[in-house]
Amino acid sequence: MSWLNDLYNFRIVGQYLNVFIDGMITTIWLSFACLILSFFFGIFIALMRMSPIGFVWRIAAGYIQVIRSTPLLIQIYLIYYGLPALLPFGNLFDETQTAIIALTLHTTPYMGEIIRTGILSIGKGQKEGAMSVGFSPFQNMYHIILPQAIANITPPLIGQTAILIKDTALFSIIAVPELMGAGLTMFSETVIATESYVTTGICYLLIYVLTLILSGFAQNRLGGAAWRSN
Amino acid sequence: MMDVIFAKWHVTISLMPFLLQGLLMTFKVSIFAITLGSTLGFVLGLLRTLGYRSLTGIIGLYLHIFRGSPYLVQLYIIYFVLPSLGIEFLNFDSFTAAIISLSLYTSSYVTEITTAAIYAVPKGQEEGARSCGMSKAEALFYVVLPQSLKMMIPPMASIYVVIIKSTAILSVIGISELTRQGEVAILRMPGDIMFVYCLIAVMYFIYCYPVLRFAKWAEGTFGSIGSVQDQES
Amino acid sequence: MASIKRMTLLTAVVLSMFFMASVALAESTMQKIVKSGELIVAVQTQGPPVSFVNKDGKRTGLVIDIMEMMAADMGVKLVLQDYDWKGLIPSLSSGKADIIAADMTPSAKRHMQVIFTEPVFFAENIVYALKTKGFKSWKDVNKAGVTVGATQASSYASVAKKFLTEAKLKEYAGGNPQTFQAIVAGRVDAGVSDRASVAGLISQNSDVKVLEGTVNKEPLGFAVRPDSLHLLHALNNYMRLIRHDGRLGKLVDYWWNSTEWEADHK
Repeated sequence: MSWLNDLYNFRIVGQYLNVFIDGMITTIWLSFACLILSFFFGIFIALMRMSPIGFVWRIAAGYIQVIRSTPLLIQIYLIYYGLPALLPFGNLFDETQTAIIALTLHTTPYMGEIIRTGILSIGKGQKEGAMSVGFSPFQNMYHIILPQAIANITPPLIGQTAILIKDTALFSIIAVPELMGAGLTMFSETVIATESYVTTGICYLLIYVLTLILSGFAQNRLGGAAWRSN
Repeated sequence: MMDVIFAKWHVTISLMPFLLQGLLMTFKVSIFAITLGSTLGFVLGLLRTLGYRSLTGIIGLYLHIFRGSPYLVQLYIIYFVLPSLGIEFLNFDSFTAAIISLSLYTSSYVTEITTAAIYAVPKGQEEGARSCGMSKAEALFYVVLPQSLKMMIPPMASIYVVIIKSTAILSVIGISELTRQGEVAILRMPGDIMFVYCLIAVMYFIYCYPVLRFAKWAEGTFGSIGSVQDQES
Repeated sequence: MASIKRMTLLTAVVLSMFFMASVALAESTMQKIVKSGELIVAVQTQGPPVSFVNKDGKRTGLVIDIMEMMAADMGVKLVLQDYDWKGLIPSLSSGKADIIAADMTPSAKRHMQVIFTEPVFFAENIVYALKTKGFKSWKDVNKAGVTVGATQASSYASVAKKFLTEAKLKEYAGGNPQTFQAIVAGRVDAGVSDRASVAGLISQNSDVKVLEGTVNKEPLGFAVRPDSLHLLHALNNYMRLIRHDGRLGKLVDYWWNSTEWEADHK
């Protein structure tokens, strides 16, 4: 096995194992928090974007365009350093909270656009049917449209989740010790590039595989046969 | 008040040449990567729909690896880890490494889009073409692909914006793109850090916004297969 | 199941390809430099006064001047390659550059990968904070409830861990300007850095001051690949040469021990 040790030194990686595990846990829970938040805000943005009122959909559209046209790195910096200067209570949020706010703000437009495509994919007949049995617009959205829409868009949602997980790698610029930070710490101390970065890559792939497995369960529960025939 | 505006104006003027140079580099790298990556992704996506099981499996593995790990890690492995293997042709200079890694990253998304767009053309189209006496290849090139190409335009434009923004990471291997030029400027004028970051954001906006508008327009004109990051089923 | 088998096979093929590729190093780094007439140096743009881009868009700084002088004396062309901090040592190990010329601390773990020259100059690590925070000496910062910022995984962070054990450390991946901004924005109470780097930052913002006292002093050296022994000795020899003929002292005084350079380059 010594040739394998030449390629990848397990002994040194072993010294940083707990740093990587801590980083992975942080990455997972931060991603999860941002996923839940951006999904719910995404529904609001999607509904705003489809609103017939010009004022409302224009605000949503402007927000979507601005966020999508600028890099996340810059957005994180502007929120972290700029918020305390603009708002008196800006310093209330610590690094972790700021990171969650920034990534949620960044992911919401993408989620919103995916959810909007999902809602648009539901036939008009569904809505008319719901209205004719006396559903309110809210009941119609909540019980009829959204469940079907979400089942239809699970694949792009999973794709966006994979991107979101990778986006958390930028958090180390505002001192949140996540997985990429763990890799950078190991690299900076030992300066062994191969082990530091390959290990980081493997950890991200592990999280990605975990996401795929979980989403497999979710797809079966949500859509079942109807989703597959799509 | 006027003083502040004058000071910021002065900063803007003295930084503009550097930032424009950075924007040009961002433009150059992203155009190369988008062209190469789209070509590779299109071919892979096409191959994936042909139904050879081992080929589909290998392409699937490729996609998962590129989509499951951050681009920074991929860039590192291509630029720094591959040369340590001692194979001469894997020893890229930084510009080549940037373009190769970014093209591979782009291709992983374009493959998904191509596959999804081909599957989005109703089966009846191909069956109809075949029943008119076209071969499988003819049916693909004359009937299926023209329809799917149209549907690919909007999601491709969104992916291009993602790729343009990914170039910000290239500074680690010494490519002086927009973010890098901005950060070098910050070292000279650390007092204006927020203002410089705002300027950088504006420059990215100027480049990306027209692409997004184009996506919007294309979606209205050509229709769409739905969302951008369609996962393989 | 079939797909797992296929992937295992594929992985095995790729791994064996890597395994079979053997490393063949024929000539020494110095022979390569003599032959090609080019000295390839990896630098980082960490900011004044070590290495930065001045108002005319030209790369300059203390280490750049030293390397330019050496290349000129050797009669070879100096090729500077700019990397992020994270790219410096990999660029050397993978053979993209011959020398790293940066303000790098020769730590025990680092010298397991590269060889460092004798110290070229010394850094004085200090603590800085907003004047309104009311700290006097750096020792005032070392108590519970105080937060300090430093560049992630840098020698500043190690200094903070070693000497400011009571305070809470936040590590910023960006670098000195980003840590400085975190202090100005009130995100942390104080920062750890070296005296020369902070001097440039403070001249822009008079609300911040350097606290009294030096936390510790660290040697900084250049680095080469472990097999470049000829080049290492040549560098050490050159440093001795310019230290004794006074040229190094002059450069260090201009860039490192004063802010004279600001008039010419800012």
